[in-house]
Amino acid sequence: MHFRRFILGAAMAAPILGIMASAAPAQAITATDAQSFINQSGQELVGIVNGNGSAADKATQLRTLVNQIVAVNQVGDYVLGRYINIATPAQHDKFQQLFHQLLSYNITYQIKAYQGISFSVNGAKPQGNGILVDTTINTPGKAPADVGWEVEEIGGKPQITDVIVAGTSMCITTRNDYASVITDNGGNVSALLNAMQNQIQKASDNE
Amino acid sequence: MRVNHVKGFKRRVGQVLGLGASLLAIGLSGCATPPPKSDTADYQAYQQLNDPIEPTNRVFFRVNNTLDKYAMKPVAKGYVAITTQPIRTHVGYFADNINEPARTVNFMLSGLPTDAGTSLMRFLINSTIGIGGIFDPASALGYKETDTDFGLTLAVWGFQSGPYLYLPVFGPSGLRDFWQYPVQWFATPMELAPENAALDDFGYAEGGLRLINTRAAYLDTIDQINATALDPYATFRSLYRQSRDSQLQLIKQNDLHGVNGAPGTPYYAQ
Repeated sequence: MHFRRFILGAAMAAPILGIMASAAPAQAITATDAQSFINQSGQELVGIVNGNGSAADKATQLRTLVNQIVAVNQVGDYVLGRYINIATPAQHDKFQQLFHQLLSYNITYQIKAYQGISFSVNGAKPQGNGILVDTTINTPGKAPADVGWEVEEIGGKPQITDVIVAGTSMCITTRNDYASVITDNGGNVSALLNAMQNQIQKASDNE
Repeated sequence: MRVNHVKGFKRRVGQVLGLGASLLAIGLSGCATPPPKSDTADYQAYQQLNDPIEPTNRVFFRVNNTLDKYAMKPVAKGYVAITTQPIRTHVGYFADNINEPARTVNFMLSGLPTDAGTSLMRFLINSTIGIGGIFDPASALGYKETDTDFGLTLAVWGFQSGPYLYLPVFGPSGLRDFWQYPVQWFATPMELAPENAALDDFGYAEGGLRLINTRAAYLDTIDQINATALDPYATFRSLYRQSRDSQLQLIKQNDLHGVNGAPGTPYYAQ
């Protein structure tokens, strides 16, 4: 009797399980894969930062690497938040373009500060839609820093979707930063685009 | 001596209440204009932001930035120039150890026995074997640090963070978290001991050193935020709130699983 119920139950549940399996492709990445992805990306990054090239060479190499390993489009859309519904398609495209540029500037801004950097991967655990890989970054003359990297499988390959430092998410922080610019300017997305443009101008003047 | 102690205590209570009252008065004078309720998404976002006195907060943010630019930052840079990272780490341990009894009390008030026990053990071990707290042998023995304060105790009791406050000198806070300052003031060993000029001087020196040591640890981080954020005020507000949420989570998690399950290592000794 029990066995029959089990068989019937299993037969009924099978299609549901099948649907569930096909509906969750985003979580396909395993902790081991995410960990080795961060390890490999980190080695490349450290290689560039500590390499022999000129500052400009390093900046170009870093930009290429960042575009390969970070899900910049997805992060950009997350950061734009609810204003994605208010922005016109042209504004959205412009935002994505500026966001890519700003991310590159913000990363290259730190090259000098990260001379002699090294890192170790401590472990990985599932978080949200992906895996959070925990690393420790060592910079000479500074206290070691714990940095978490959220990795998801996007377009069939692992990509970084967020960076967590001391319990704070870079995505959430940037989202709040950008939202504040928009709300302070009467809810205009164009104000954000202007502010981003100014920031890029400021950064390239300093280079 | 006893009379002096009581007098000093009364004076301090007066000062704290005075500060609280002036903050409230200043806060009421500069309020943000909420968006109309008909604009649902905007109104919800405004409520969620919970920063009703944003214009006033921004004034203090600018004041603190000026103070920082001309006083704190240059001093912290000079401090970094004449010290090494190990020295700064041990100064951090020392300052943390002095605050440990306040943490024990806060954990007890929060009804978190594991955290309270760990904190008490840390103070006993580090004050003795750790030579007055300069070293942190307690961590090596499995009693790792979990930070807390009275604001987080109130959070454990169920108080919401309340409106955001940017305090002069102290920086990011909130209506709930503000209360950590008066409580912390009375809960350090220096304040509990009878009034004594040498102890007062020690308290000021220790407080100053802790301030500089902490500022030094964040030199690069703060520079980076100011250089890359579009609105540094909003960025610091977001970071503050996220960091408080994560501290609260860590406190609860560590009490449940013990610190070795999820170490709450301080920022300067990770």
